[in-house]
Amino acid sequence: MSEILLIVAGLFLPLFPLSMVFTGLFNHLGNQNLRTVLLLVWPQIGLFIVSALGVEIPGWIIVWALLTAILYGFRALVLREVGLWISFIATSLWAVLWLVIGVNEASWSELMWFGLGFSVPFVLLLMLGGELESRFGAAYTGLYNGLAQALPRLSWLIVIVVLAIIATPLFPSFSALMTAMLNIADDSFILALMLAVAWFIWGWAGARLIQGLLIGEESNIAVVDVTAGKAWIYAAILGVLVYVGVCMTGGLA
Amino acid sequence: MEQLVILLVSLPLLAGIVNQLFSRSLGYGSAKLSVYAAVVTFVVALLLLAQMFSSDHTAQVALNDNWGILLADPLSSLMAVLITGISLIVRIYSVRYMIEESGYGRFFMLLDLMTASLLLMVASGDLITLVVAWHLVGVVLYFLLGFDTKSPVASRYALWTLVTYRIGDMALVLAAVLLYHAFGTWSLNEIFAEITANPGQHHYFGMAVEEAVGLLLALAAFARSAQLFLHTWLPYTMDGPSPVSALMHAGIVNAGGFLINRFAPVFVQTESVMHLLFVMGLVTAIIGSVLMLTQNDIKKALGYSTMGQMGFMIMECGVGAFSLAIYHLIAHGLFKGTLFLSAGSVINEARQHDGVPKQDLYTFIVERRTAKRRQPWLVMAGITLAVPIVILFMAHWLVAQDFFQKQGAIVLLFFGWITGAQLLFNTYRMDVQNVWRLVGMIIFSFALVILGYVLISHAFDVFLYPDSAFRSEIYAAAHIDVFWFDVLVVLTTAIIVAGWVLTYYSEQKRLVGGEQLNRLWLSFYALVSREFYLTDLYAWLSRALLKASARLNVLLRWR
Repeated sequence: MSEILLIVAGLFLPLFPLSMVFTGLFNHLGNQNLRTVLLLVWPQIGLFIVSALGVEIPGWIIVWALLTAILYGFRALVLREVGLWISFIATSLWAVLWLVIGVNEASWSELMWFGLGFSVPFVLLLMLGGELESRFGAAYTGLYNGLAQALPRLSWLIVIVVLAIIATPLFPSFSALMTAMLNIADDSFILALMLAVAWFIWGWAGARLIQGLLIGEESNIAVVDVTAGKAWIYAAILGVLVYVGVCMTGGLA
Repeated sequence: MEQLVILLVSLPLLAGIVNQLFSRSLGYGSAKLSVYAAVVTFVVALLLLAQMFSSDHTAQVALNDNWGILLADPLSSLMAVLITGISLIVRIYSVRYMIEESGYGRFFMLLDLMTASLLLMVASGDLITLVVAWHLVGVVLYFLLGFDTKSPVASRYALWTLVTYRIGDMALVLAAVLLYHAFGTWSLNEIFAEITANPGQHHYFGMAVEEAVGLLLALAAFARSAQLFLHTWLPYTMDGPSPVSALMHAGIVNAGGFLINRFAPVFVQTESVMHLLFVMGLVTAIIGSVLMLTQNDIKKALGYSTMGQMGFMIMECGVGAFSLAIYHLIAHGLFKGTLFLSAGSVINEARQHDGVPKQDLYTFIVERRTAKRRQPWLVMAGITLAVPIVILFMAHWLVAQDFFQKQGAIVLLFFGWITGAQLLFNTYRMDVQNVWRLVGMIIFSFALVILGYVLISHAFDVFLYPDSAFRSEIYAAAHIDVFWFDVLVVLTTAIIVAGWVLTYYSEQKRLVGGEQLNRLWLSFYALVSREFYLTDLYAWLSRALLKASARLNVLLRWR
């Protein structure tokens, strides 16, 4: 029974091919608010199921989760549409939550922070993607270059949010990565190496997204940057994320 | 001392934050703020180093129970002076150099963050802080190299750097996790104390943890210090601003040498890692130097020169001369930083007029004009072979008489001898009025350089590793079987002498099979000019991966 429920949880902490439910649903939804809710709630359901079961995560699920993380990270390398990129990288990162849960019987109240630490930067990127769509009609890399010069504030925000997503130190995603690494490195070097490879791919995918949006000669489209007030709100949320990340890193053991 | 080390890290960080938050109102004042902060940070670093000289204790301050430990010890204080000194010079240089660039304030903010990350890295007293700082250096460097956001080329090679650095980051993270699992603490001092007290106690899948960690740390150092196969980013990142190149080649790329020194207690307990360092360093030094000689772009040549120097630095670690590697990285940092900062002026000068002095050295090296009348061959050969080795042995004997018992020292002496002999050998054919005066000057300069080098490196040895028993342990870890050591020395000597003989005969045009050799030489030159096809291979691999990713997406219907 518990194994069936674990597989059900594999819908929410995505395991390929169950992961296709999330990516399909996310990309089908056109509404920004629904997408936001999905990003925040989806992994929490999985975490809730797993913590309610209170069982040790079997080794085969750990391997499955790592393969899913690598697969979706790898597939995100060539994605140019921001929404699709979010859904693939979210799938890749959320799969790692299986490793965060690991062998410890952690409660949902503890685990939810890891889930939120992963989800909040995606929500921010979704909103920033919305800013791009409202200005250019689409959030798409390579379509309009040189955002760094045209929209410096928005560009800064995109850069920091992508860094928060790809498990850059000081952000919660990095503490989650380290926690996952601590949970599996003792059992298998190969698994630890696979996780490190997933981390490597996230970095590559993130850098490609940043380059596709920000680099190049400025497009000749008259657009207005995000207001200073809005930028401060984003910055404040990112500041909170850093604070949470630092606290979570302090708790690594 | 504790307050100083906190100030050291927080000052540039604070300057960076202020620069970012108030960039608009600061305007060109952001440069001033950055320079003032750099001056104060440099003074703090000097004070820290002075305290280290005046007292023999080290200190650490913990900002958190688990991580955020900052160390004030000889290694961190010495590296801090180097980093703050070079970054101060780079900032002062950039004030005018970058004035016409858009994103002037952003540039100084990034320089501030880079300095803060580097200082945090050298002062890290625990594994988490080290991993965080190590990674942040790579991230900030990515943005500095891609500073010109209009340039896709600069951005492309910034990405190469980031990707290569991530390989090293992966290795460091794995090493950190293995150490934590084995010793149950993140604190470096506690881990080192445990390793020193009970070496070889912990195993990881049949391998001693020290060995496994040593291998991972070596990989992290290789990626950061552009060792062979992980070097392609270094010569291609010249589209970034010159001050960034200076900072990168003078400070950031040296991190591999620092890392090995920081983990010296781990490396002394390894069996094969030191040999790996030696081989990798040696091959990188040779390949880097060969590639440097074939470049016609001054900045790219400097890039490959750095690769060669980094190889030499890693090789020094591989023979057990850890502190010498630190001295090397400082010396290299200073001269390479100077070269990069003056590269623009040199290019500009060369565009105005060739400016090449028609001196003896130029006609000899560039125009290949050799002397018609030469001194007796035997006398010159005797001087060539004997003088450098006498100077080297005398210098080392004056400083540390037991030096010759260490294999690593013999290896370094050997390289010193070859270099000295090569220099003297060339003067034999040089067209100068008074050859004996020239030989005398060369011998005098050589003696001065060697004596200075030996004295300073010995001082570094005593300062960084005051425990003489530990110093001997480092050399012992690099030790190989005497028979094989002798075989290698004889083999290397034979190759070098054969090279000299080959050169001599080919220049005399008395070489049997000269035509075939010439063809072989041209093929080799073609291979070198294509940089051994490594860059092409990586570019092809990257394209193939991206193509595979796209195909996979189509196959899975973008779900």
